[in-house]
Amino acid sequence: MKNPEIELIKNGKRLDGRNLDELREIKMEVGVLKKAAGSAYVEWGKNKVLAAVYGPRSLYPAFLKDPTKAMLRCIYNLAPFSVDDRKKPGPDRRSVEISKVSTEALESVVMTERYPNSVIDVYTEILQADAGTRCTALTAASLALANAGIPMKDLVAACSAGKVSGEVVLDPMKEEDNYGDADLPLAIIPRRNEVVLLQLDGRLTREEFDRAYQLAFDGALKVYEMQKKTLQDAMKKSAVVGD
Amino acid sequence: MFRVKNNEFVIPGQLVGTDIRHDSNCFREGGNVYSSVQGLARIEDNTLKIIPSSGGYTPKEGDVVIGVVKDVLHGKWLVDIDASYPATMDGEEVTRNPQRVDLRDYFRVGDILSAKIFSVDEIHASKLGRPSKLEGGYIININPKRVPRVIGKNKSMVNMLREKTNSRIVVGQNGRVWINSANTAFVVSVVRKIEREAQTSGLTDRIEKLLNNA
Amino acid sequence: MEIETYLKRDHIRNIVAAGKRVDNRAFDEQRPLEITKGFVADKADGSALVRLGNTLVLAGVSMDIGEPYADSPTEGVLTTSAEFRPMASPTFETGPPDENSIELARVVDRGIRESKSIATEKLFIEEDLVWVVFVDIHILDHDGNLIDAAGIASIAALLDARLPKLEDGKIIRGEWEGKLPMTCVPVPCTFAKISDKVMLDPCLDEEYAMDARLTVTTTDTINAMQKGGRGSFTTEEIKYAVDTAFKKSKEIRKLLG
Repeated sequence: MKNPEIELIKNGKRLDGRNLDELREIKMEVGVLKKAAGSAYVEWGKNKVLAAVYGPRSLYPAFLKDPTKAMLRCIYNLAPFSVDDRKKPGPDRRSVEISKVSTEALESVVMTERYPNSVIDVYTEILQADAGTRCTALTAASLALANAGIPMKDLVAACSAGKVSGEVVLDPMKEEDNYGDADLPLAIIPRRNEVVLLQLDGRLTREEFDRAYQLAFDGALKVYEMQKKTLQDAMKKSAVVGD
Repeated sequence: MFRVKNNEFVIPGQLVGTDIRHDSNCFREGGNVYSSVQGLARIEDNTLKIIPSSGGYTPKEGDVVIGVVKDVLHGKWLVDIDASYPATMDGEEVTRNPQRVDLRDYFRVGDILSAKIFSVDEIHASKLGRPSKLEGGYIININPKRVPRVIGKNKSMVNMLREKTNSRIVVGQNGRVWINSANTAFVVSVVRKIEREAQTSGLTDRIEKLLNNA
Repeated sequence: MEIETYLKRDHIRNIVAAGKRVDNRAFDEQRPLEITKGFVADKADGSALVRLGNTLVLAGVSMDIGEPYADSPTEGVLTTSAEFRPMASPTFETGPPDENSIELARVVDRGIRESKSIATEKLFIEEDLVWVVFVDIHILDHDGNLIDAAGIASIAALLDARLPKLEDGKIIRGEWEGKLPMTCVPVPCTFAKISDKVMLDPCLDEEYAMDARLTVTTTDTINAMQKGGRGSFTTEEIKYAVDTAFKKSKEIRKLLG
């Protein structure tokens, strides 16, 4: 989609004033819901995402039970009012795909073998969307799992890169995603520097891919530092001091 | 070698040591040991232990828990103890001839009881015994991590609460608190206050003042 | 029956019989209410986040243009739906709306529609083209009385709502011109009946113990009523609920601004 009226990049600055390799502003909070076992709320640019974890809990129907491990179910959902043109409630094909790749990303870290025959449910609700929702959701899901005390081998941190007006950029916002030439969401397990989610949508040369991949990877590492700080601060705030 | 200090907060996947002894909240990869949960790292007896700062109750042998009978099977009861793992109680715990009697004469679906966990197997399923039916009363759920604070050193806190409000209170290690009192709402508010302020010092004195003024 | 019901039901019935509520509220007292309009103002045309005790509901308004109903060709269209998001409670599952979700959406809709709170005649654009108002209720955390929390969030979101800019019969997203025209503020008040006592704004524990429920939505008239649950109400109880609803809704209306 090309819109000649909008100049997406001018003098090395983007529409919102960012440099090509700059992240949007991100805020994170954990323990925001009362009923869920763990929860997190992340604002990433204009994205507003809530994540909640239930479980491990009983899994029905019985044929889904796995005697060697828990089932992990991550569900991504856009609220109808989260996008410009109202989205009809209910899972659409895009949400189903995102749910699948998100579940697979988390499966690499959650120690499901500790809880046979049960299920761990992770719900991510997009309350307001502005490109990069699946990365925001996965980042929030990871925080919610830690908040719930579910044993994991690492956190999962996510970030995306794109191509806009011929330039590779970090963390595209909505206009850049709509009028850009590529979108590359990526999620990593920071400790091992390994990738657990990778998708590409668009046209990138080999060199452009290398650059976009590196930008997204480094972006994810920055996100990881924020996740660490969020969890540490929350623990300090509710610490039990001996009497 | 330990890579964290005593009383340091850790997050899942954080390196806590190399070739060290550790508890079940850590995992090994090669010689490296990592935390699997968020919590407080403690070094005791040259072993790294993590006190999780969240998460539900994990059944432990010897714990007294409060449960609700979910089902009456042949020869035993299925009990809900608000944990991710099942708990059962054999008929033998209450009668010598469990096959000959109707177990529902002892405990039926919906009955509330306190019981001791006598054993926990490798998939964390518990066997309960020494049950006591809890009739009347009200149950609240508190964070299982706060239970020690509500009980207090040598049961000092819960005993003070019992005496000063003239109530019957049973605190389950699984975070369920049973309260039988003439002023339940007040007792509940005091327990919630202890839960909220568990991290502060001088709590015992403050609670004592609150109870004296009531 | 759910486990929680066993843990709470008997005790709550006992203290209610003794004339008290489990959280020491008066029988006509609502839990603390917090309303944040415009919580998701970037995409939604109107929104409001409501916290009623520990219940949390987000309502969003999305405007579109479309065909009017055949029997009211010069009036705008209203559609209300609700989703009980699974994150809100261990008892909510994914899937299409169940009977509770459908009932809630229809009761909230009734209050808004029957009171004519949206000036639908002002939503006429041209022949065969009117504004369509979507109210979407997202239940996020369930601690009882979802109907009131959702109803208050919906009317707050409508009061917050702006009309998208129209250019040559097309909506320009991200730009707005004027507010959604509203005429009055319908407010629901839900009561629970436990044995022979009636109480306003049941918390989740009280819902586990209740026999029946009555919602009364008012402006200066009564615009919607809905009885739910297996139990029954006497005439006196219904009159009490209606009187209390008129009184309490005035207080709530002040918070809605």
